[in-house]
This record gives sequence, structure tokens and C-alpha cells, in this order.
Amino acid sequence: MPLWVPVRSQVAPAACLSPSPEAPRALSLFSSSSVFPLPNSQCLVWRTDLLVISSFRMAEQPYMVASDSETTGDDKSQSAFHDLAIGIEVGTSKCSIAVWNGAQVELLRNTRKQKAMRSYVMFKDDTSTGEVPSGGASNKTAYEEKEILSGSAIFNMKRLIGRADTDPIVHASKNLPFVVQTLDIGVKPFIAALVNNVWRSTTPEEVLAIFLVELKTMAEVQLKRPIRNVVLTIPVSFNRFQQIRVERACTMAGLHVLRLMPEPTAVALLYAQQQQQQQQSLHGSMGSGCEKVALIFNMGAGYCDVATTATAGGVSQIKAMQGCTLGGEDILKNVLYHLLPNFDSLYSNRDMNKIRSMGLLRIAAQDAIHRLSTQSSVQINVDLGDGTKMQRVLHQSEFEEVNRNVFEICEKLIKLCLADSKLAAEDINDVILVGGCSRIPKIRSLVLGLCKKEKEYEGMDALEAAVTGAALEGAVASGITDPSGSLDMLTIQATPLSLGIRVHGGGFVPIIQRNTAIPARKSMIFTTTQDGQTEALIVVYEGEGKMVEENHLMGYFKVTAIPLAPKGTAEISVCMDIDAANTLRVFAGAMMLGTDRANSPFFEVRMPTLDDAHGWCAQALVKTHGSALDLTTIPKELQPQKVQ
Amino acid sequence: MWFPVPNSESISSMISSLCLASPKSFFRPPRCVAASAAAAPPAVCSSVTLYDVLGIAAGASGREIKAAYRRLALECHPDVAAVERRGASAVEFMRVHAAYETLSDPEKRADYDRSVVTAVDAGRRWAPFRSQWTSSYSSGLRRRPRTWETDQCW
Repeated sequence: MPLWVPVRSQVAPAACLSPSPEAPRALSLFSSSSVFPLPNSQCLVWRTDLLVISSFRMAEQPYMVASDSETTGDDKSQSAFHDLAIGIEVGTSKCSIAVWNGAQVELLRNTRKQKAMRSYVMFKDDTSTGEVPSGGASNKTAYEEKEILSGSAIFNMKRLIGRADTDPIVHASKNLPFVVQTLDIGVKPFIAALVNNVWRSTTPEEVLAIFLVELKTMAEVQLKRPIRNVVLTIPVSFNRFQQIRVERACTMAGLHVLRLMPEPTAVALLYAQQQQQQQQSLHGSMGSGCEKVALIFNMGAGYCDVATTATAGGVSQIKAMQGCTLGGEDILKNVLYHLLPNFDSLYSNRDMNKIRSMGLLRIAAQDAIHRLSTQSSVQINVDLGDGTKMQRVLHQSEFEEVNRNVFEICEKLIKLCLADSKLAAEDINDVILVGGCSRIPKIRSLVLGLCKKEKEYEGMDALEAAVTGAALEGAVASGITDPSGSLDMLTIQATPLSLGIRVHGGGFVPIIQRNTAIPARKSMIFTTTQDGQTEALIVVYEGEGKMVEENHLMGYFKVTAIPLAPKGTAEISVCMDIDAANTLRVFAGAMMLGTDRANSPFFEVRMPTLDDAHGWCAQALVKTHGSALDLTTIPKELQPQKVQ
Repeated sequence: MWFPVPNSESISSMISSLCLASPKSFFRPPRCVAASAAAAPPAVCSSVTLYDVLGIAAGASGREIKAAYRRLALECHPDVAAVERRGASAVEFMRVHAAYETLSDPEKRADYDRSVVTAVDAGRRWAPFRSQWTSSYSSGLRRRPRTWETDQCW
């Protein structure tokens, strides 16, 4: 899908999608509103009271059409300071934004002096300008949680983005105040917000884009320069579809994603900087110092990540990562169902009163969970409005019991991560706990217990570590240097999920294994399954399942011009390449028999090629082509990279 | 471990800066299994070792290996390399990382050390070939010092 992107970075906020050069000028006429064209051709006018547009140059910009799959060029990361990338963490519940100010990382505050801003977009009807959605970042009138839960606001975008309507997480989101509809056919779910008693449709990307526009404007006003490049943190478990959706939302908001950084790796970068500074002050010189191994546990409202990192001399190397969709939302849901076992049947019809009382219950449960971090029991008193009152005491032991499954999954993730990184608890020097849920006593004791530590690493703010790391990465990747050496550092990323192709029989053969250092390039030789087979399908998947159905389909293409030969003799080379910006390219082609030369030009395909997680594309391929175009592996000892 | 066999094909691909757009660069090198090492002139094996890649002595300690890897990563990782040479730096980083991956794992390192010894022994038998190949290879290497293949990645 081609998108309009500006060639230069000097662009007015929110005008980047506009195909017409008139848009920036129109913008300068109405300094308090900006045009925000959305992909489904409805044009939103979005307004904020603190936008100061006159400080930007409004010269007409040259526009060109660029494929949205070509947004990683290095030409955009010129090392001038005005192009310095900012760090953004869009959390399921809260978001924050940080920037390298020349000496250190600084978190920006909104007009209400908040560093952590609630992530939501409110859809309200405004008779004068039409639709005015506004996010939680910079709006002057702070919406109360009660209003956010009234059905008019969309939140939890991070849990919904890039997921199909068959996804259990999407199904679990149906108990939110806004509408999440699923038809269970593997396409984008339908979401809608209540505007004037009508459910108005939108998409998670659109909501995220509106929110990002607001963040961008807020940063531009405060930093007095246009913002284009960003480093965004994402959960470890985000697959490439989810990543592409996030990137697309950024493009819609006029932002160029320099890096999508898994949250624990951003924390690892901050840890590397702190270790470096500590050693410099101890030894007075750069020295490589001794290596420190840290386990990073990050659990927010939507996702849980675990990573291990080995750090010395400012270089943090990610040894292994594990992540899953598990967070405060799940804990909240468990508590809600515990307090009100017939929650689903009570709220199946969405009239205004039900939505309101559901919102009140959510607020009360959330508050109780927060208080249980410091108290052993809490009193819940909530008037649900429709004559029913809830009055009860919730004990910590009860809370821990209803969330046992959550803690078990956390434990499993940590064990898997340690095993993947070939580390024992004794090898770990520091345990870093970040994210809102890391404040839950049971989770702290669980992580520390598994790592056999008395106490956690100090010196990191649990809610600010990831965004600070993202801002550091933004400075490093923008080519900024610091005379004091505090930017001489690096996180060597790893792939959180394996990448490979389908072979005959539906098996998944990984070519790049998970936890491979990035950039990476690996290749394997495959062979034909039919006599005289001249074409083969390369079907690319991402995941850890042994069979392709358990993994995510990324895309497919056909290799042609395979020389005529009996089955099992022709050689097809498949090479996967992940660059430093985490872009995946697949190269494939047939070899001339018995040689190492290409039989005809190879194919180079950037993945994913699919626009949606259409699992049924794979079924359609099998239905149409059967196994006629299948490939299979060749013995390990004949694979070039296995040769010792 | 994979070693390039110095024929004209692999040398030209080493020199042609390994742009991935050219299919040449992702061809696997000619096949060579440990058992057949003696059959192929292993000149390059003995001229550029993984220790050379990391710029350390063959007897380096685990700590030295890690320190060298980190120092080189801070120079050649695409995140920190100068903007104009980020493409080449990815290849360079992968080469450094591959060397580190083998040498930092005691088992893999032992295997590698053994294969190098075998190669050196075999190299004696191939001495006439070796001198011929090393000269052309190393002159190529001097012109483009850091752009040849990360053979381990293949």
C-alpha cells in the first residue's frame, strides 16, 4: 500500500499523509487545528489548545510516493542534531516520551505535568468541527477514568494492534467498555467507540496514529523543532505483523521509525550505560571492565517480557528473550471475575447503565490491586449505580490464588529464558524489575526467588527505564556522540522468534533460530519433492512451533527455473537476512545442478508480504497446489553452515 | 566451520563488497566437509583465522575474546558505524560475531582449533598451491580490508 511520505523532515505535524501540497498551508491558517486524513478516506479535524504551528517553516514540501515498505533507508538517519530520534514507549495503559538533551535523557511532561500519560483516544462529537478525537497525552481537560470507561474512548490499543479476530487476546478484550467484534475468520477485528449514542468504527492503528500525532505535537512544542525520527519500544512477543502495524501507525502520524526496540533491550541499554559510568568512576578509564549478567523482568498492563543480557564496556549483548501477552489487564480480569462470577452474562448487553457500572467496578478493582501492593487486605466499596452495591474485603492471599495462572506463566517464562541463555541463577549479577506489575509483591518474590537473589537492582525507575533506554538508542542510532563518553554504547539485539519456511508435510524448518544476534544472515539448501519439479513455493513463517500451523504466516513466493532433475537432487538456496533495523528479507533461487551458481536470477522478497494475518492464505495454497510445489530439507551434513 | 576455498569464484565474491542484491554473495561457498579438508587447498584457512578476525592471539583467554568482541562491536555494529558505511558494517559485524560465537564457546573453539591444526598440516602438503593463492588473496584483502564474507553465516 503506497503511502504519502514527505521527503524532508521539516514537515508540519499531522500533515504528512496529505497528498496535496496545499495541506501545510491550510494548516498555518488555522493554527489551532490540523487536518488528519485517515486511510478510510474520512478526514478528521483534530484540535489541541497548545499547538504552536507558527514556529515551523511552512514552505511547500516536495512530496513523493514511497512504498511503506521502504522506510528504513539510512538517508533518513543523518547525524544532525535536529534529526535526533526521540524515544517513545506506548504502553497498554500509560505512555511516555523521552529525549537525549545533550547531556542526559529527559522525560517530557504534558500540560498537566505528567511524565506517564494515560494511553487512550476519546471520540467526542463536536458540532462545530465534526469529529474531534483526542488522546490522553496533551488534552487540557483531563478525562476522568470514569469517562474513559464510558465507551467513548478506545484504549488498550497495544493489546489489539496487528491481531486477527481469531486471537484469544482479541476475544478477551470483549469485556472492555468499547465494542470489539469478532467474526472468527482471521481478519482484523471490528472496534468502535460510542459517539452520540452510536457505535462509530475505527481501527487500532488509527487510534494509535491519532495518539502518536498528539505525542508528536507535544514534543515539537516543547523541543521547538519538528520531530520525525523515533525509537519505539515494543513487547518481546510482538510478531512481525504487529511490528508492521505499529510502523504503519507511526507513518500515519508522520513519524519515521528508526528502531522498534523490545522493551527489555531498551532497559538493557540503560543498564549498560549505568554500569559503564560506575566503572569509569571506579577505575577512571574506559577499560572493558568485568562482565555483568542481568536478568530483566518487565511486566506492564499488557505484556510480560524476560531477557538476559551480558554487559561490559558499554556493550550490552542480549543473550535470550522470552515474552507473552500477559499483564495487569489479565490480573484485573481475574479479579473482576472473582468479584463478580457472572460478569460476562451481566454485561453482555451494552446499554449505557451497564457500561457505566462495569466502568465503576473496573476502577474499584484496579484501585484494590494497587493497594494490595502495600497492604495485606483491602476493603472494596462500590456503588454500581443500578441499585446494587458491592462491599467486601479482598485479601492478598485471595488475590494471589485467583492469579495463580499468571504467576505460573511468569515463572515459566523466566525458566525458559534462563535455559535459552544457558545461565544458572548463580550466574546472574543483577535482577532488574521494571513495569507496573513488578510492584506486585508476589511477582517480586517469584522473580528474585528464581534468580536466588535477596534484592533487586537499584537505580532504575520501574516506569521510566524502558523509555529512557529508547531515548538513548535514539541518540546512539542518530549518530550523536557525547564528549564524556556516555553515549559510547550499544545493545546487540537478538531475534525473539525463529524464522523459517514450510517443508513437505507441513513442518516448519527454522533458518534463523531465535536469539540469534542481529544483524543476521543465514541460508539453507532445500531440495525438490517431485521428479522434474521446476517450481517451488517458499512459504515463510515466524514462530517456535514444529508445524507451520502453530506459527505466523509471513508471506510466500514461488521460485522458478529449477533445473529438470529427479526429486531430491535439485538444490534451492534460501537465505534470510535481518538488518540492524530488523527488516527481514528472504532470498531464494535454484542452483545449476552440481554447481554453486544460480540457474537464473534469485528472488529477493521483503517480509511480511501479507497485509493481514490471513492463515487461510496458507490453506488456499495447499488447496490449489497440493504438494506439487513442496520443498524438503537435505541432510544436515550437506548444509554449508553445518560443516565443521 | 566453513572456509572459503580460494578459487576465482570465491575471491571475486569476497572482493565484490558482498552487496546482497547480487546473488553471488549469498551462494554458499563450494562444499567442503572436514574429512575432505585435505583435498582442498586450505591456504586461506591458515592465513585469516578467527583469531585474526578478532585481532587476538591464538592463546587468548575467554576474557580477552569477549573484550575484543565488544571493542570491535562498538566500531562496526551498524547502530554505531558512520551513516555512509552502515551497509558494509553489517557484514563486518556478522563476521566478528561469527568469530566470537565460535571462540567464546569452549567446545566450538576446541573443534575449531583442531580443524586449523589439520588445515596447517594439510597446508604443508599443498605448499606450492598455497603460496600462489595467498599472494593473490592477500593483495585483494589489502585493497578492501573488511568486506569479505562471513563464511560462518552460510
